[in-house]
Amino acid sequence: MTALERAGHRVFLAAASVVFLAYVLAPVAWLASSSVQQEAEITSRPPHWIPQRPTPENFAAIFEAKEKQVTYENRRQGDPATGGYIPSTARNLMPAMWNSLIVAVAVVVLNLLVSVPAAYAMAKIRFIGRSASIYFMLITRVIPDIALVVPFFLFIRKLGLLDHLGSLVITYLAITVPFSVFILVSYFESLPDELDKAARIDGCSRLQTLLLVYVPLAVPSLVAVILFTFLTSWNEFLLALMFTQTPASQTMPIVVASFASDFTISFSFINAAGVLAVVPPVVLAIAFERYIVSGLTAGAVKG
Amino acid sequence: MTQQFDRRFGRRDFIKASAAAALAGSGPFLGLRHAHAADPIQFFCWSAGVDQVKSHVSAFEAKTGLKVAYNNAPWAQYRDTLVTKFVGKAPLDVLWVSDSWLPEWAEAGWLAPIDGYKELTQYNADVDDFSTKSMLWKGKQYGLTYYTDYMAFFYDAEKLQKAGIKTPPKTWDEVTQQSLQIKKAGLAEYPMMLSMARESWLIEFLSAMVFSHGGRFVEDSGAAVMQDRSKGAHAALNWIVDAVNKHKIVSPACVEIGELNGLKAFSSGNHAFALLGRYRVRTLNDPKQSQIAGRVKQGLMPAGPKGSNATVGWNRFYGLTTQAAANKEKAVNAVKLIEWFGGKAEGKYAFQKLMFMDVGSGFAVKPLFKDQEIIKAYQSYSDMAMYEKQQALAKKKDVVSPWFGEWDEANGTAWQAAIVGKSSVDDALKRSADTWNKLRKQA
Repeated sequence: MTALERAGHRVFLAAASVVFLAYVLAPVAWLASSSVQQEAEITSRPPHWIPQRPTPENFAAIFEAKEKQVTYENRRQGDPATGGYIPSTARNLMPAMWNSLIVAVAVVVLNLLVSVPAAYAMAKIRFIGRSASIYFMLITRVIPDIALVVPFFLFIRKLGLLDHLGSLVITYLAITVPFSVFILVSYFESLPDELDKAARIDGCSRLQTLLLVYVPLAVPSLVAVILFTFLTSWNEFLLALMFTQTPASQTMPIVVASFASDFTISFSFINAAGVLAVVPPVVLAIAFERYIVSGLTAGAVKG
Repeated sequence: MTQQFDRRFGRRDFIKASAAAALAGSGPFLGLRHAHAADPIQFFCWSAGVDQVKSHVSAFEAKTGLKVAYNNAPWAQYRDTLVTKFVGKAPLDVLWVSDSWLPEWAEAGWLAPIDGYKELTQYNADVDDFSTKSMLWKGKQYGLTYYTDYMAFFYDAEKLQKAGIKTPPKTWDEVTQQSLQIKKAGLAEYPMMLSMARESWLIEFLSAMVFSHGGRFVEDSGAAVMQDRSKGAHAALNWIVDAVNKHKIVSPACVEIGELNGLKAFSSGNHAFALLGRYRVRTLNDPKQSQIAGRVKQGLMPAGPKGSNATVGWNRFYGLTTQAAANKEKAVNAVKLIEWFGGKAEGKYAFQKLMFMDVGSGFAVKPLFKDQEIIKAYQSYSDMAMYEKQQALAKKKDVVSPWFGEWDEANGTAWQAAIVGKSSVDDALKRSADTWNKLRKQA
């Protein structure tokens, strides 16, 4: 390859990267830009990528005072003069974000506590019904969530957990644990059995072997599980819709969806909510960036 | 090291730590209150006019001393949520109901008739006929109206003026001619905005087109007539197909455009004509939300060759659940709440007026058309006489049935297939009619 060809190759790669980046980042840029635009500006032609009259009113509405008793006197009206096209439920967004965070963190922690030992046992301990138990766990995930809604609802109601974050933690664990175990089993199986034997010869118990030998080696895979579990819990909509009904337990997706069903709908406001909704997952992804790819492909190829 | 670990962290320690972590993980929400601690009136709505509902609930509580647990869910998932709650026997007393779901919910025994409550049925005399009819199933009335509206025809007066058009179209043929004129003048690529995406709004758009072409989907007897070439459904679908494929005055992307995106497209100035819910005129003429504010006028629904200015109206109402009706005390309180919202509160139709003044939603109680405050407010962004005139021509949907949901899916697919040229108009309507007849036979 000549120097000219090499330079051409580099230019091509750079141009392709720019196009790809623009393709991937344009929707995010529009989300951020439109969140500070007035509702009329958001529908301008051509679109204003840089807001001409930026306004913080969407974010101000989100961060305003907490819920109070609403009366005729203090209700938010749909009058444009009062900025009333911003949904009155805007104040529910931050509590919902907090609820989502509590649920997601609880599910991640509990999921790891269950799935790591389970996956280690299935990968390294030979017992009767080992393969069957792996397949059985996976089969539970073949059933679509919609088919589980009513049985789950009855179960949660029996427990007295309707409109309670506990209902979400329990059901999200039922959804995420099988996948987490499956991911971790694949990874643990890819690690040599000799490590297990050597640790046992050195006097480690099963638990010590898991915690001192396998868990440190499985960090990329654990990160994949953490991300999968967190994002599943953060974004889940159907079960949260069924089991929660007040701002005390509603999560982010439910509150955001409610913004689109009012008589007056503000796209710019919904985009402001979207900006806030993507912050925690993005922070998480940045924090674990170097583990993500290796974690997702962990156990996919066996040497 | 392992021994050290053994001493510090054994198997039992692990189990203890797991339990502690589980408790710690669940701790933050153990303290949150349960929704059913007291025994208030369970009032479930979709998330619209939330502050208006809450403020009226506060006034009700202050007046009666009764407590109300008001909860809501997004409109798009409201039906599924409620069906799950009904099946799961969740506590529900009063709820918002769409006329489209009435047969299903009434047949399932989830809603109770209100005919026995004279304090509610007394308001029928003040309500538009199509609205009351929308709350009837098998001769029984299942609620009191909370909000009524209809599909309206809007036009951008400035675009028409620039194209040299003096009067808005009175017929669908004139819509075609004027659209071609506007297109020729370079004022809009697709002058007519139609939302034909498969969503809950589609049946309202299709019904408006069919009714204004003098047609029906089904007869009073319940037999499908949509496939009959001499009836209006054929002419209506034919007009849409020609508008998209022959005249190119409606975008072929209309099958992907839902009502909300249609609203935003029209408000951005992309079109000259639009079919939208009547209450959208407030948004369309609001400078903070629309690029064409002040230019949007309502015209009578254009008429088809054998049609009229008829349109489709819809009704949302307060329903009483059978579980509330079964308990005498609960029923009395629930009926009070229904009257407070759907009838008069302190001698006035307070909630309908509040919703209209605050968010522009429509009403079916005729005395409010004479209310000076309402007239003044509406005149600031639209034409009250036109509002009332068109509402008098509104008809209830003729396809509301226990099998509506399933048929609606098939019908939407059939109409879309014809619009995008994958099916002829005849085939599409025959397929829709066959589905209707099959489902009707099965029921």
